Order: sequence, then C-alpha cells, then structure tokens
Amino acid sequence: MTIKRRSFLKGLAGTGAGLSMAPLLTGKAEAREVRRVQDDHVGMLYDATKCIGCKACETACKTANKLELELDPTGTFDAPRDLSTNAFNIIKMYNGPEGMSYVKRQCMHCVDPNCVSGCPTSALNKEPNGIVSYDKDACCGCRYCQMNCPYNIPKFEFNDWYGEIKKCELCRETNLVTSGQPACTEACPAGAVIFGKVKDLLVEAKSRVQKSPSLYLNHVYGEKDGGGTSVLYLSKVPFDKLGLPNLPEYSQAYAQESVQHRLYQYLALPGILYVILAGIAFKNRSGHKED
Amino acid sequence: MDHEKALGGKIFTGPVAFLLLLFLVCAYFLVIRYINGIGTVSNLTDHQSWGVWKVVGVLVGAAFVNGGYVTAFLVYIVNKGQYHRFVRQAVLFSLLGYSFAATSLVYDTGRYVNLLNFFIPKYMQPNSALFEVGICITAYIVILAIEFLPGLLEKFMPEGEKSDNLAANLHAFLNKVLFLTVAFGVLLPTMHQSGLGALAFLMGQKISPLWQTPWVSFLYVTSSVFMGLCIVVIIDILYHPKSLKNQEYLGLLKTLLKIGVYVAIFWIVFRFVEVIRNGGASNLFDVGFEFIFFWAEMILIVIGMIMIRKTNARSLFSGAALMLTGGLLYRINTYLVGFEGAPGVTYFPSVPELMISIGMLALQIAIFITFVKIFPIISQE
Repeated sequence: MTIKRRSFLKGLAGTGAGLSMAPLLTGKAEAREVRRVQDDHVGMLYDATKCIGCKACETACKTANKLELELDPTGTFDAPRDLSTNAFNIIKMYNGPEGMSYVKRQCMHCVDPNCVSGCPTSALNKEPNGIVSYDKDACCGCRYCQMNCPYNIPKFEFNDWYGEIKKCELCRETNLVTSGQPACTEACPAGAVIFGKVKDLLVEAKSRVQKSPSLYLNHVYGEKDGGGTSVLYLSKVPFDKLGLPNLPEYSQAYAQESVQHRLYQYLALPGILYVILAGIAFKNRSGHKED
Repeated sequence: MDHEKALGGKIFTGPVAFLLLLFLVCAYFLVIRYINGIGTVSNLTDHQSWGVWKVVGVLVGAAFVNGGYVTAFLVYIVNKGQYHRFVRQAVLFSLLGYSFAATSLVYDTGRYVNLLNFFIPKYMQPNSALFEVGICITAYIVILAIEFLPGLLEKFMPEGEKSDNLAANLHAFLNKVLFLTVAFGVLLPTMHQSGLGALAFLMGQKISPLWQTPWVSFLYVTSSVFMGLCIVVIIDILYHPKSLKNQEYLGLLKTLLKIGVYVAIFWIVFRFVEVIRNGGASNLFDVGFEFIFFWAEMILIVIGMIMIRKTNARSLFSGAALMLTGGLLYRINTYLVGFEGAPGVTYFPSVPELMISIGMLALQIAIFITFVKIFPIISQE
C-alpha cells in the first residue's frame, strides 16, 4: 500500500507544478505511519554462539557476487579487514572482559531504512520481499546513504572514475535466484546463520533464548533496534561490543519523515504561503518603485 | 537618490589574475579527479564520505548567499524601501553562490550524470531532504536569474525615459510580474535552508547532541537570516569606501544588522535549549575538540553582536564578519566536527581537496568583481 502511494506521488511530482512542494503531499494530519516487518519479508538469523569463525561465508559471498580478492602481502590469503566495495560480508571477532565472540556483518536490510528514505533519486529501494536493493542507473553518487546508515554498510568506489555504491543485497540477483538462499547461509557449516522469513526467524530466535537463557542475552538484536531489521542477531557478548550500535526503538527515517511531513503541514501548504507573499509584494508594488 | 551604476575600470587587474591562477590549480586537480576518481584527490572515506566539497561548497556556499532572499523579503514584503539599494548586488551574489553550490555537486557526486535523475519523475524521491534541497536550489537559481535580468537588460536599453526596444519591453514586463518572482524568491530559500538542516537529522546518533536536534532545520533557517543580513552589509561596505564617514549611511547599515542581532539572540537561546533537551548538557563542558568548536561558534557570534553596538564602519564591518563566521562554523561543525561516522574516525581535507574548493570560490569572486564593473549592480550616490 505504501509503495503504491509513493509511486502515485512521484507521478504527481512529475507533472511539474510545485516540484519543491512534493514532500508536503505525503504529509498526513499526523506523523507518518510506523513501518513493520511484512509477512513475506525474508532475512537472516545469525547466532554468534554457534559461529566457528571459519569464514566460509566470506568466500561464498565473494564467489557468488564475483568480488575481487583482497590478498594479504604474501598473496596467499584473502584478508579483508572490514566491509568494503569488495567485501559485502565479513566475520569479525571480539575478545574482551565480556568474553570472546565472532560477529558476522553485512547489510541489515532495515525495516524502515534511512538509506532509502534519504536517497534523492530512488537508487535504494525496499523491495516487496524486504531486501534493500541498489540501482546504479538511478544513483547520482551523493553518498548520503553512507552518511545516514547507522551500521555504515554502503561502500563507495572512491578510486573509480565513475564509482558505484556496493553492499549486500542478500544475493537477490545471484545466489537467491540459483539456490533459493544467499551464498553465506548456504555455505555456513555450523548453522550459525540461517535464511528464512523474518517472522519465522524471530520465533526461532526467541525460542532459542527461552530454551537456554544462560547461553544468550535476553535480547534479539534487530527485533526492535533502529525500528527493526531483517537480519536478526543472538549473542552472549553485548551487541555494542560487536559493533552493533545501541539504537532507539524507532528508525531515524521515521523520525525525519515525521518532522518533515509535520513541517509542511504546519506551513499550511507552501502554496498558500506563496500566495500570501505574492499578494503582499503586489500590494507594496508602488511603494518602492522610485526609491 | 541612489541608483545602480556599472563601476567601470579595467577588467583584467592584479587581484583578478590572482583569483584565476587559484582556479587554474583547482582545474588541474579536477582533471585528476575526473580521470582517477574522488579518492585520488580527497581524504574522503566510507566513514566520512562528505567533506569540504559538500559541506563548504554546498552548505556553507548556500549560507553565504542568503543576502538575496533576506533583502528581497525586507524590501518587497516588509516594504522597507530604504534597503532597495542592497537588493541587486545581493541577488547577483546569491545567484553566483547557488550556481557554484550546484557546480560543486558536479565534482562531489560520484555519478554526476545521474544528477539529471532529480528531474526525471520515476527517480524522484519526495521523502528525501536531499531531493528537496536539490530541487529548491535549481528552482531558486532560475528565480534569481529572473530577478537579476533587469540589471543585464539596462545595459542594452537606450538612454531616456521612453525607451522602446526588446530589452526595454522585457524590462518593463519583468517589473510588472516582479511580485510573482519575489514571492518565490522568499519562499524557496526558506524551504531550501530548512532542507539543509534536515539532512543532518537523518544521520541520527552519528551527530553529537551539541548539533543534533529535531529542530535542526529550523535552526538552519533562522541562522540563514542573520547570516544573510551580515553578508549584505559586508559587501556594501567594501564597495562604498567614500560613504564610511556618512552617519546616515552607517545608520542604515546598523538598523539592518540590528535585525540580525535580534534573530541571532533568539537563535542562541533556542540552540542552548535544544542541546540541553537532547541530553547534551554534559557535552557543553566536556573539554575536547567538539567543546572548542561549539564555544567558538557562540563566542564569535556574541562578540560580533557586541561590536555592532558602535556606529562606525570598522565595528559594523568586523561585527558582521564575526557573526557570519560563527554562523558558517555552525554549519561546518554539524557535518564535520560533530559528525562521527565510526568510533575514532577523523577527517581533515587533503591539499588537492582544499584547492578545488578554494579555486572554485576564487572563480566565483572573480566573476562577481567583473560583473559589477560591466553591469549596473552597485548603487552609487
């Protein structure tokens, strides 16, 4: 429903009249609705306590998405240090007073993504199956998505004459088509990351916590964090130690669009303001002609 | 009575040559940027992907040129005819500034050809503050060009009251519909300035509570008002060295700046309320990088306001310059100092990156200097 309304608005905006007033058209009397996980949204559940850190998922991701290797100085080991334009998925490790844990990082496929909300040219989109997709033909390379992503996921090809944004798209054009699931979940030998419908994964995550409360924090990261994500996390080590930030239970995109919609609501439509301004300027016309 | 006149004089002077030299250096680095990519000339990274090009080029650039809409508002809406003399120079400055803000996007964005997608309906994204900014800048450039056109046309009009050629007719027509353009000229920048602030809000916790607030759009609009007034006064003083002893002239400048002071006082109070409301009270006294830059902003503006109390050219000029600097710092701080992409990530622009920004600014100033020599922009006694 929301998608339909937006494309309708795009049509309206396209008619030319009041291009800049387009945002006000989306404004309802109240703040905009809260977006929630839909029944057919797909995602992943990563259980840090099961991960053995073998990095099979990294290799599988690079193979499936035809990404360049980032070899170490000896040239024998693919060793990405962080997510990059050549690494959409990476295993990192935390070892500290709270214990030791691996963590898998990739796009979280937020329920209400900031990147989609902020993208000026619709290059990032929330697909009907919940995947946050990227379209290089729409992207103008402004890199606003990098600035507003709370997880720092989108990467830009800074050393390319006409670079693109690169990130995990849950193998939507590669492994998901050929094998029905992303390369990383297919490759995982330990069952640490599994693919499925988000609502099923959430049930599974909660039952694991319930069965062995000593093994996990009583928190499924991604259920509510940042308004929810399609990738869910279970861990014993606090999530912020694993690089997953403490976020409020709403998406910043929700907060931003609510303010913006309200602002244009409050202006009682810039159109009316325009008429008033033009009216005053018209009335004052003779006053300063000869100054 | 004041009237706009072309200043005349030699076009290619020493200062202009120097400014063009700066632009040549900039052009050299731009060539490298277009062949090898943004990363080869800048210090931008995935964790700090907006740097001086966007923040100084677009945000600060756009703030610099607010004189146009603030003066248009005073003259045509509040009907303060005595400020009419400021309008044309402010409009030219605004026009150039916004054009350069738009130009800086062409070298800052990675896939610049797709900037055209802003105008293709299927790619438009009305929920995006950045989309709003882009559309408002473009629309306002058109409006400013229309506001500025009479100055160009006068150059081609025959002398005498009853002139009758194409230029004169167009001039008369533009005067008739001026109220329509002026209303746009006031409305669009307001929306656009608020959009510049709204960009920050989506970045959420990545921006320090010293700058992050749901009201950041509003703070951007209010700060643009006092900054616009300051820039108008600064340019006017620079171009009227003979009037600096004239009390009537200085009084006019002072009343203009006084409006700015009231707005700035309101802005400062609002800013502190928001910092405290957003849980940044402890940050106010947490000595460090952010602390220094936050207070620098405040102190610059406050000293500027105090200096303006005296009615002499030197105080008015320095006061306006300080307030303007404080306001510009506010914008730089929001996106550069207050922004932390990832823990421990710091950013400082590279030399080529800075040279590109400086060179583009130099070109803008050179064009302004040349324009006012050829066309009737600056009002003379």
